[in-house]
Amino acid sequence: MALVTATVLMTSACSGILSGGSSTPAATGPIKIAMVVPLSGSSAPSGLTMKNGAQMAVDEINAKGGILGGRKLEMDVQDSACDPGQAVSAANKAVSNGDVISVGGYCSSATLPTLSIFNSKNIPMIIPAADSQDLPNAKLPNAFLINGTGVQQSAAAVAFMKKEGMKSVALVDDNTSYSKDITTETNKELNADGSIKVLVNTSVTAGEQDYSSVVNTIKTANPDMVYWTAYYQEGGLIINQLRTAGYTGKIMVADGSVDASLIKIAGSADAEGVFATSPPTPATLPGAKDWVANYTKKFNAAPGPYSTQSYDAVRLAAQAITNAKTTDGVKVINALKTIKGFKLFTGVLQFNSEQTLKSGGFVVLVVKNGKFVLKDSLQ
Amino acid sequence: MVQLLWNGLFVGSFYALVALGYTMVYGIIKLLNFAHGDVYMLGAFIGFVALSGLGAIPGSLSLVALAIVMLISMTLTGFAGVLIERVAYRPLRGSPRLAVLITAVGVSFALEYGVSAIFGPNPRVFPVRLSNEGATMFGARFSFAQIALMVIALLLMFGLDTYVRRTSTGRAMRAIALDPKASLLMGINVNSVITRTFFIGSALAGAAGVMAGAYYGNINFLMGFIIGLKAFTAAVIGGIGNIRGAMLGGLLLGLLEAFGSQWFGGQWRDVFSFAVLILILTLRPTGILGGRVTERV
Amino acid sequence: MAKSKSKSERVNDNAELSDNVDASMAPRLIGKPQSRLSALFESKRLGWAALAIALILPFIIATPYTLNVMTNAAIFVLLAAGLNIVVGYCGLLDLGYVAFMAVGAYTAGIIAKSFELPLFFTIPAVLIMTVLAGLIIGTPTLRLRSDYLAIVTLGFGEMIRLTANNLAITGGTGGIYGIPGLQVFGIELQDPVRFYYVCVAIVSVFVLAAARLGKSRLGRAWRFVREDEDAAEAMGIHTYKVKLMAYIFGAFWGGMGGVLFAAHLSAVSPHSFVFLQSALVLMAVVLGGMGNMRGVVLGAIAITLLPEMLRNFSDYRYLVFGILLVVVMVFRPQGLWPSRAYEPERGFEGTKRSRARAAAKGQTS
Repeated sequence: MALVTATVLMTSACSGILSGGSSTPAATGPIKIAMVVPLSGSSAPSGLTMKNGAQMAVDEINAKGGILGGRKLEMDVQDSACDPGQAVSAANKAVSNGDVISVGGYCSSATLPTLSIFNSKNIPMIIPAADSQDLPNAKLPNAFLINGTGVQQSAAAVAFMKKEGMKSVALVDDNTSYSKDITTETNKELNADGSIKVLVNTSVTAGEQDYSSVVNTIKTANPDMVYWTAYYQEGGLIINQLRTAGYTGKIMVADGSVDASLIKIAGSADAEGVFATSPPTPATLPGAKDWVANYTKKFNAAPGPYSTQSYDAVRLAAQAITNAKTTDGVKVINALKTIKGFKLFTGVLQFNSEQTLKSGGFVVLVVKNGKFVLKDSLQ
Repeated sequence: MVQLLWNGLFVGSFYALVALGYTMVYGIIKLLNFAHGDVYMLGAFIGFVALSGLGAIPGSLSLVALAIVMLISMTLTGFAGVLIERVAYRPLRGSPRLAVLITAVGVSFALEYGVSAIFGPNPRVFPVRLSNEGATMFGARFSFAQIALMVIALLLMFGLDTYVRRTSTGRAMRAIALDPKASLLMGINVNSVITRTFFIGSALAGAAGVMAGAYYGNINFLMGFIIGLKAFTAAVIGGIGNIRGAMLGGLLLGLLEAFGSQWFGGQWRDVFSFAVLILILTLRPTGILGGRVTERV
Repeated sequence: MAKSKSKSERVNDNAELSDNVDASMAPRLIGKPQSRLSALFESKRLGWAALAIALILPFIIATPYTLNVMTNAAIFVLLAAGLNIVVGYCGLLDLGYVAFMAVGAYTAGIIAKSFELPLFFTIPAVLIMTVLAGLIIGTPTLRLRSDYLAIVTLGFGEMIRLTANNLAITGGTGGIYGIPGLQVFGIELQDPVRFYYVCVAIVSVFVLAAARLGKSRLGRAWRFVREDEDAAEAMGIHTYKVKLMAYIFGAFWGGMGGVLFAAHLSAVSPHSFVFLQSALVLMAVVLGGMGNMRGVVLGAIAITLLPEMLRNFSDYRYLVFGILLVVVMVFRPQGLWPSRAYEPERGFEGTKRSRARAAAKGQTS
């Protein structure tokens, strides 16, 4: 007991000294940008495409001479493994490394606990991928989401289902927060609306290969459309197995599945005609051809999910720092709040009061001749 | 219903094939080889490299090519298994059994992230995809590829069962499982038998890896993790150390998952199958076919 | 973290029997005579030294990152100490230990959040819930032996994680966030430095308690069960009850680890309770030296620090980690700092030469 008392006393005595040492950002040298994304574990592929997207923006800006009178940007990528504990370590590491702005955040559950770590040092976070409603609900001033939220994506999905005259749907997620967010919201909206019946609302386990049981459930219910809300690895397999089992209805996937690999895994015949709710991809945007070509040349792989968002996040970070004329966190956060007319891939950036995108910018894509092309801009 | 049964049996035969390797190794040296699932993944990647190396294969020859590649992959994963045993398990024989469990997890990490370092974390698409043609019977759909793979799996399993029951090496394996010291005294070359066990078990996992790649079409560096856990479960449920038990356990687990997913929804599937497994173990504490454990007093 | 070592050391200070935490069962010096080095390792002052290091460290390296890693290490030490009761002392292979951590973290998180209570006040509830969880998991499973027990614990671990993932009360896949911090009588302890010291204090107490438990009458019964269940039964030990006690203690330790974990992250999510986490805690116990609390503390610190130190390898991090694990275990099969208890070898000792150190494991039975 004495020990505990002593410890508590000691704690209060020294914490002042120790925690007072928050570093003021360096005024010269490279500007370090933190990115906490999964580089190991089952989400590692997405971490890689995000890292590449960000690196591309950094290289472009540095090639133009950097910002703030010639200071170069430097990426500091840390592994979160999509695990909240590791993400906290990674975020702390980034803070200790003297990073002045963060452009990471993939798994919502791993991003949430990092918000307050960055916030306590007034480090702005531009979150390119994580999109759970929980993030804006945390109401921290430093967090800005530049990916449409699950609610916005669900709204787009429901709008499209109605437009296509669907009468019944099956919702399938992979039991992770990103994916479940979309199915839950979609289910809610469909139930409130009442014109489309949700026949199946189920989950699969990511990382497996045989989804015949869920396929069987869907086939028995035989809905007009299946909406898969998670990633392309499993999405490709499910599309393939649905078609193999003889399901002939429509299939739609969410933005985590919008990747060339989806078509390869599903097989181009089976993937043909699959819809996707997604922000516009570079391949579907006029004038983004060069971007895709550059990316492919540089990383020897096509851009994946969230490559563009990560690229945008770095550009936005650079713009905000330029506008603030300093790397001081508070000023950069203000600059982000007041930014005007900045062009993202998805259109002109406009934050709402929650610091998420005013409109998610979701469109519907369709697989045509083995490629995702624009189907409906939902305007 | 028939469809559910068939799906369950098909998935179950993959589990069974991988579970065999688990159970063989366990039967002989009482090691839970956590790296076994990753050998399955390695098999799939070796198959991937070999098939890509062969270049474009005309559709008519794809089955032949696949068979050849499967043999290549089985040989290589077999040797990989032997190497793993040599480097990571043999030096620890006679040490506390949990120490070997840790090296097994270490090997598992090394294999997973080694493959990820070479091939990248992105999933790879298998160059050959078995066709989806099939027939409908009793209101269920059976694809020819599924039937072919099931037949191969069953042949491999029964071949192994015969091998263990009928050959002298098989007899030696059973002897070592019973009492390694006495086997040694009886003139059995224990090391060479263990090496063979690892070779066979790993080769079977490699075969399952290639089959999974060709059937599902997509492989990635973590694909062995979940199936490894499932195979472990299957092996224990059947009675770990018992070869027929592993087959039975694998098929049973496949069926449980198929029905659990149907009845309770995918998110509760694993809860359901684990609950049934725990129930089975409470009723039969050494698994379905497991003999009474001889306790040393 | 290191401080907890000191706790186990303190056990020795207070002990009348011998200075070996683990020696209750076996004669201590069957092997070589005690060398000067091992005398140092057994020294009673070592623990105080470790505690001093743990307390001073924040003055030397106090970046948020190092503090965070040290706090993680402290929490991990607590988990490993708890698992050591189950695996190291009693010899029950548990592959789902993280289940108890999940129960603790969720209980604390849910109560603290819904009633706006400081986390400290949730501890009684955590105690009740983890004991319940220990009973529920233990009652049907403890009649099983070795690897059957392993799979059942693994199954329970997965069931608890999946259930947390599927239920609304646990926040589903997103988990619970915004958990109030540790406050005691109005003193805010969430500041990283204070929180670290609070962790060190709590963890020390628990490690000390675990080490003392290991020396108690119950602890000797555990060891007996581990060594030879049938003989223990024959000698009149109620093995089932004794094993259940190990489970319940282990569960509470795990639950406390969960509380600190929830406080540290101010969030709980199912991602944190995957099988890998159980495997890591088990690794800490085995790597450190099963049954020896000092070794386990060391193992837990090693398992936390290694992946952090390997961060710079980025993509190769787990590759290197895996290889290191193999190398360390091949050279130190009995763990970094094994219990000195000498046990005659049994079970399968291999064909060439057998190491004389078949240490603690129930499975040898």
